[in-house]
Amino acid sequence: MQTMHPTLLVGPADWNPRRMPREEFDERLAALWRDCPNAAGAVVYGNSSNHAALAYLTNFTPKLEAALALIPRRGEAQLLIGGGVNMVAAAKPLTFVENLAPLRDAAKTAAAWARALPAGDIILIGGDAMPFGMRRAFDQALGTDRNVEAADAALLACMRIKRPRELRALSETCATLDAAVKALRDASRDGKNVTDCILLAEHVALQRGAQDVRSLFSLDGGRTLRPFDLPIARQCNPLQVYLAVRHNGYWVDGFVRVVTTDDALQEKVGGVLDAIVASVTPKLSCRDLARIVDAGRARLRLHPLADDVFGSSIGLSLDEPPMLRRDGDATFALGAVYSLRAGLRDETGAGALSSAIVAVSASGADVLWRDGVRS
Amino acid sequence: MTFEQRLAEIRERLNGSSLDCVVAVHDGAHFIEKPDPVKVLTGFKALGPAAAVLDRGGAVSLVVTPRWDAERACETCPGVKVIPANDVVAGLESALGPSAGEIGIAGLAAAPYCIGKRLTELSPRARPADAIVFEPARRKIDTEIADAREATRIAELGFQRLLQLARPGMTEDELAGELRWHSKSLGAEDNFVLLCAGPHNKAVAPSNGRPMQKGDIIVCELTPSYRGQLAQICRTIVLGKAPALLREKYELVVTAMQAGFAAAKPGAVMADVCSAIDAVLEAQGYGEFCHPPHIRRRGHGLGFGSIGPGDVALDNMIVLEPDMLFMIHPNQYLPETGYLLCGEPVAMTAQGAEVLTRQQAALAEIAV
Repeated sequence: MQTMHPTLLVGPADWNPRRMPREEFDERLAALWRDCPNAAGAVVYGNSSNHAALAYLTNFTPKLEAALALIPRRGEAQLLIGGGVNMVAAAKPLTFVENLAPLRDAAKTAAAWARALPAGDIILIGGDAMPFGMRRAFDQALGTDRNVEAADAALLACMRIKRPRELRALSETCATLDAAVKALRDASRDGKNVTDCILLAEHVALQRGAQDVRSLFSLDGGRTLRPFDLPIARQCNPLQVYLAVRHNGYWVDGFVRVVTTDDALQEKVGGVLDAIVASVTPKLSCRDLARIVDAGRARLRLHPLADDVFGSSIGLSLDEPPMLRRDGDATFALGAVYSLRAGLRDETGAGALSSAIVAVSASGADVLWRDGVRS
Repeated sequence: MTFEQRLAEIRERLNGSSLDCVVAVHDGAHFIEKPDPVKVLTGFKALGPAAAVLDRGGAVSLVVTPRWDAERACETCPGVKVIPANDVVAGLESALGPSAGEIGIAGLAAAPYCIGKRLTELSPRARPADAIVFEPARRKIDTEIADAREATRIAELGFQRLLQLARPGMTEDELAGELRWHSKSLGAEDNFVLLCAGPHNKAVAPSNGRPMQKGDIIVCELTPSYRGQLAQICRTIVLGKAPALLREKYELVVTAMQAGFAAAKPGAVMADVCSAIDAVLEAQGYGEFCHPPHIRRRGHGLGFGSIGPGDVALDNMIVLEPDMLFMIHPNQYLPETGYLLCGEPVAMTAQGAEVLTRQQAALAEIAV
């Protein structure tokens, strides 16, 4: 889900070797090299809004400015970080990479690094997220000496299948989401206004060590969702909220609806979500998913947040590819974790959304989180 | 100046060029140092990638992604044609139509490659048009200055909160997270909380998991955004009793800041402000610390729309005018004390720089 991007990432992002030991990263990198047998080295770019690949390979979250990892097939990686040389010490706790330097003239630096490598391709990851001017300089500097191949798809294929430590991290993040949702529900039932409900939920997540918390909410009965702008002093019933929580690097998210009366629309949405979750098996296609959703909605309209996209893979990125699009070619993968959502609008225009986080096993979907139901 | 007056000035510049329209583009990744031409043209702070088109007749179209955010855009920008899209370039293609003529693009250099490449394929002859959008936006409109005043108020309350919260054992990350959350409770939709601590800071850097200790010097930039307008305060706090030497050096940095305020007058150039600050420090023998890596600039403009009038730096020759809004922060590394933060947001008036804070920087102590 798209949320408002904060200007600076302030949450805890230090590398914790007990949670993610160095061998975890070595194994991830070994898998990438297996998939890219001709690669002599990898250039990995990340910025504060798009850094899942960089974090996957180095644990580094670029909180302020962009960063670039130069990773040779053999030997130690370098991490070039935004800001001057005086920023290096503050960045060190965020990664196991020991060779940190300021990111200055990235294209030239990467080209010089590449020239010193043995023969082979250079794989580029995150190149599409580079600023336009920087990428053009890169292509110019690197492209003449070496064959440069984009390897985002290869790495995403690795990232999509969650490893045991990642599943543990995701499960812990689900617990934090659950605690935040409980706080939201309690606040709403206590008669708190919209802003207070959301702030209390966010605070609970932060106090549990969340790295980031983002929210969207509805002021019109679930018809539309919006980011926080100005404080809202009124209560909402129903209160429809979207919460995304990041903990130890890993995101989970959920749609939550708090209502004090019978809620037929929510029941119907719950039914559609049940059908989605029950249908999940490895290799289920997006088109099959669309048929299940269409059958479940009966005569109600799909909510604009859930009519074309029914969710996505989730992990180090909130919107990890593939997006589960109605007309997409993606299929569910064994060992992947997905955020799934269902949403409906009734004839009055009111809307309801519900969601679940599931891990795909051979037998179907293991529910890691669902509003009110957590395994 | 109102929003409409500034838009009219941008349109005048467009009509004075050979372009038929200006396309503004932004990827939705809001950053304190990245100007947002879409916000300048429409006032809209987008969730995702967004584009705006201004034509010679003054009509503005806004391409909003994700498309479900379009109703918010319609509320925010009543006079603008909103085009919902899930792909900003496809939406832009629809906004431009088949005969857009000569196109200028603002924001291209900062756009991600995946968007920039497609934009240049869509309009191969497009020219950079950043100046058309950003030069008129070097001065803030009335509502932006009012919002900056409110953001400043929130920043000062945030500083009071910091004084209540910070204690030995608390990590930098915990403190930064609490301050960001607190400012949201006061109405700030975002906050650039750059904060770190240590006995001798080399710079101000993003927080990490280091637990603070008695005797640490906390340096922080609190930068709330109110309705999409940033304002900042820069402060230095000691966890414990401040040594006399630190007090003395902090006074020096405050004096340098006051010299910067005095130099900020309409008609002066921004470099004069930087020179005035440097002169105070150079006179005390700190000339070598007035350059990188110790200091890059003595202040900066405040977004999220335009970041004009730019950095308070020796190479910025922009002439200061009323309604410019920027930071003056000496933020100096001194070998005896480490990095010290001291800075205030100022709005230029016909008389000079109006400091927006109620209480200017002074070295603070937290009893531990």
